Parts: sequence; structure tokens; C-alpha cells
Amino acid sequence: MEERVNRRTFLKLLMGVPAFGAIAAALSPLLRYLKPNLPPYQLNPLTVGDKPHGSPVVAATLSELREPWSYKYFTFVQQYPQYTPEGFKNATVPGVVIRLPRKVVLPWEWAGEKRKESDIVAFSRICPHLGCIFNYVPEWKEITSGYGGYVPPPDRRHALMGCPCHLSIYDPADPDVPGRVLSGPAPRPPRTFLFAVKEGDIVITDVEPGGIA
Amino acid sequence: MGKLGVVGEWIKDRKEHLDLFDETNVHRQGNPFYLLGPMVYYFWLITIVSGLLLMIWYEPTTAGAYNSILHIQHEIPLGWLIRGLHKYGADALIIAITLRIYRMYFLGEYKKPGELSWMIAFASLILAMISGITGYLLIWNQRAFWAAKVVLTVPIYFDELPLIGQTRFGSAIAYIFLGGPAIGQATLTRFYMIHFSISVIALILTEIFFQRTRRKRLNMSLASVLVFFLMLAAISYLLPAELGRRANPDRTPLPILSDWYFLALYQFVKYTPPLWAGLGPGLLIAFGMLVPFLDRSKGRRPSERPFFTVVGIMALVYFLVFTVLILFNIAVIERDPPIILAITVVVLALGLLWEIRYRRRQLGQLVSSPKPAENPASE
Repeated sequence: MEERVNRRTFLKLLMGVPAFGAIAAALSPLLRYLKPNLPPYQLNPLTVGDKPHGSPVVAATLSELREPWSYKYFTFVQQYPQYTPEGFKNATVPGVVIRLPRKVVLPWEWAGEKRKESDIVAFSRICPHLGCIFNYVPEWKEITSGYGGYVPPPDRRHALMGCPCHLSIYDPADPDVPGRVLSGPAPRPPRTFLFAVKEGDIVITDVEPGGIA
Repeated sequence: MGKLGVVGEWIKDRKEHLDLFDETNVHRQGNPFYLLGPMVYYFWLITIVSGLLLMIWYEPTTAGAYNSILHIQHEIPLGWLIRGLHKYGADALIIAITLRIYRMYFLGEYKKPGELSWMIAFASLILAMISGITGYLLIWNQRAFWAAKVVLTVPIYFDELPLIGQTRFGSAIAYIFLGGPAIGQATLTRFYMIHFSISVIALILTEIFFQRTRRKRLNMSLASVLVFFLMLAAISYLLPAELGRRANPDRTPLPILSDWYFLALYQFVKYTPPLWAGLGPGLLIAFGMLVPFLDRSKGRRPSERPFFTVVGIMALVYFLVFTVLILFNIAVIERDPPIILAITVVVLALGLLWEIRYRRRQLGQLVSSPKPAENPASE
């Protein structure tokens, strides 16, 4: 089997390069055909006017959250500019606001707030694992019975948060990392909402950017 | 072009021995395991025909899909039957493909010259499962919605891979299949197209194959054809295909399950970090496709290739155990994975030891009684 690349074969191979280029050039618009016409905002650089903005929403009143571990679900609406006749696309972010029995440092580095302490905390309920909506579970025994059999250590036997899909368990009251992942495949704690207390209302103004992970 | 010639020769030889639905094994049909091939073809055709009939009434819109299926199930005459045939025909198809793959695996049918037949059978299982997941989104119920959400979020973690992750191809995959940033009308339309075209393209290729080889298409007795159809019709009547609750993007129900053939995989996703939720099944598929080239043993009987027999049994046991675990909602994510990993390593090591011992013994027999007739010198 003595085969050497002779001049003819070599030239033939060389011919293949522009041919391949031509095929790729012809296929590229076909691949672009698959591309959705709604751009995701992560892939393209945002101009200032293109950033999604949310309309402030009152999640709860302070009187509703007087007791420790009391909570309330709410929905925060983010508006994404979109170049369609409607102009905007609404994306809803389900959230939960919780009154904790002690103060924690709010994980608000994303908003430039380093050391703000509060006993009220608001989490996005979108699970950072694969995007399901997780629940606030006031009774930890329900976590053990309904979310795969996880038994929290004695100092965490209080209300927890659990995701129905893949059983990630979060501790909303962890003093260092509110929303710490206690169990399950979640790669990080859930995202948080920025809020301010105005005249007895807890007003949600923004949500930490990003979807999963 | 020496190398290419060898590959061409290899492909030509495998194509000549290609067997899609056991049509070359008709004489063995006294053994019901060799009826599995015709069953695959038959259930597939039932699924295609009933699917086409469903398309008459189905409405592929996020607002109308669920209602149109309610309409089919409860108001259209015989709608329940068509939908039942589609759903249970597809289930039966997946069962038949899986059993047939196991038969091919344990009987070593993937060995020369069956490599291509095996790869096509294995790929058909993957395609059937993709058909399944794209198909059940079309109902637009809770199970479908969250399954689609989870499945199309998994590729985003591929962006964490070193080097190739920087191209963000994972996000691009999710984005193209979703048809936008989130599940919506575009996702439904694209899933509808995928669900339909997998079968159409495969059917055209199969038909070309039958035209060229002049083999008989359905190698099954009329009695079997009727019995299987009646079984599907009976189960459609007794256990109408379920609808679930309408999709609600703001609420994930607890507990939430997938279709039965994804349950083991679902349990696996609970146990592993999210990047491995995508890589694990990918490696499993790669292993399945490459089995004919990984298994270098000579014999075809399970006892003649201990390691691969152990791997096959382990895969089957894990499929069943994981399915049972998820059905009983047991998943202590701190406790279980180390145990499972330990069992896997021990079992694989034992399998390897068995293989080594078996080969040593073979070698010993060969040395002690060197019969020239049995000596496989030609290999």
C-alpha cells in the first residue's frame, strides 16, 4: 500500500478548499433561517434604552408580615423592549417576600449594596437550577415528606424553600448567604429582589439579572 | 485514497447485512424476541397514521392546543380511540425498540456484520424519545411545559465547559429550539415540526430501503396484527390517555413527573450537578452507539463477554431502580449519589475481574490443547 500524494491529488485537495468555503457560505444563511427573530438580551449588547425595566409593585404590607416566618407570594413584571407591533414583551418573575426572625445581610452585591441588613428578604422563585418555580414551605416536615426525604440539621428546622422539579432545598434565613443551597443540584442561591419600605408597604423595584445558574 | 476505500468497503458490507425490523430473522419468529422487529414497524405505523388523523383536529397554538385536545378526547366521535392509539402506540413502540435493543445487546447481534443495524436501532430509540418529548409538549399541559422548560435549560450549562463553552453554543441550542428567550408559541411550532418530521424523514428512508432490498415490510401474521391492535384499542378505552392540567408558567406542581421512559433520567438529573445532567446522557448515547467498536471480545454469548454483560445488566437495573425511586419520591441528594457511585465502581470492577479471569482461562485452554482446527489464527 504505497500511496503518496502526487501533484494531481494535491491540487484536487487544494480545489476542495474554495469548494468547501462556497458550500459553507451557501449554508450559512440557511442556518440563520433557524435563528429566532426575537433576540435574547444576553447575546446582544444592550443599549441603555433596551434594558428591561420592571414596574414597581407592592409585594406586601408590613402588617401582613408581622409574624416571623410569615410570607407572601407576588409577581414582578419585567418589560423587555421588543421590535414588534406590541413594542414590549412582558416577562413575569414570581417572587416570595419573607419576614425572618433575625436580621441577615441582604445579598445585594449585584445592586451595589454591600452591607444592608434586614429581617425582610425577597427571593425570585425561579429555581437557578433548571428554571422551575420553587415553593416556600412554612413547615420543614413537609420538606422531608414531599421533597425527597431531606432531613434538615437541628438548627435549620424552620421554614425552608424547596423546588418540586429536582428537589433543591434553600434556607431563606441563613445568616451569611440568605437562600443557601442545603440540598439538591442547584448551583447557587436563588436571585433576590431589590425592595424599599415605603409607608408600610414593601415595594419591589428591581430583580437581580439573569435566568438560571 | 486507500483509507477511504477501506471505509467504503466496510460501509458497503454492513449495508448488505443491514436489518431494520428483523426482516432477515423471520425464520426465528418461533421465539417471540424475534417478533420485536416487526412489532417496532407495526407500532410505528400505527403511531404515524393516528398522528396524521389527530392533525385534522389539533390546533398548534398556546391558547388553543389544550382545548383542541379536550375536544378530540371528549367530543369528536372515536377521538379517544385515535388519541389512545397514538399515545399507547408510541409507548408500545418505545417498549418494543428497547426490548429489541436489549436482545441485540445480550445476544451480541451488534457484532460484525451487525454494527450498522445496531447503530440504527439505537439511534431510533433516541429519535423516538425526542419524538416523545416534542410530542407531549403539544398537549400544553403542566407536565409538558415543565419538561420542555427543564430539557431546554440543560444545554445552557454546556457554556460552562472549558474552551468550547466560550462559543456559547449551549445557549444557542436552547435559543434555537425555544424559538426565542422563553417557551412560547415559537417553541410549540418548532416542536410540532420536529415531532412530525422525525417520523416523516425516517419513513421515507425506510421506504427507500424496502424498495431497494425488495424485502417484505411487515413480517407478522394477521393474527398478531389484530391482537396488537385490539390490545391498544382496549387500553385506550379502559385507561383513556390522560390530559393533565393546563400549562401554568407561574406554578410548578408538586410532585411533577415526566413520561415513564424519562423517569430514570429525571432521577439522574436530581442527583448530579446541572452540567452533568447534560453530559451524562450524552456519554450514555455515545457509549451505546460505539458498543460494537468497544466490545472486542470474540464470542456472541453473554457468558463469552462478561464485562459487557455486566454493563448491560447494570444499565437495566439502574433504569428500573431509578424509576421506582422517583415514583416513590425518594431522593436524598446528600446520601444517595456516593452509594450509587460506590456500587457502580464495585460492580464494574467485578465485571472487569470476571472478564480477565475468563480470558485467562480461555488462554489456558488454548495452550493446553492446541487443536489447529479451533485455533482462531485467521482472526
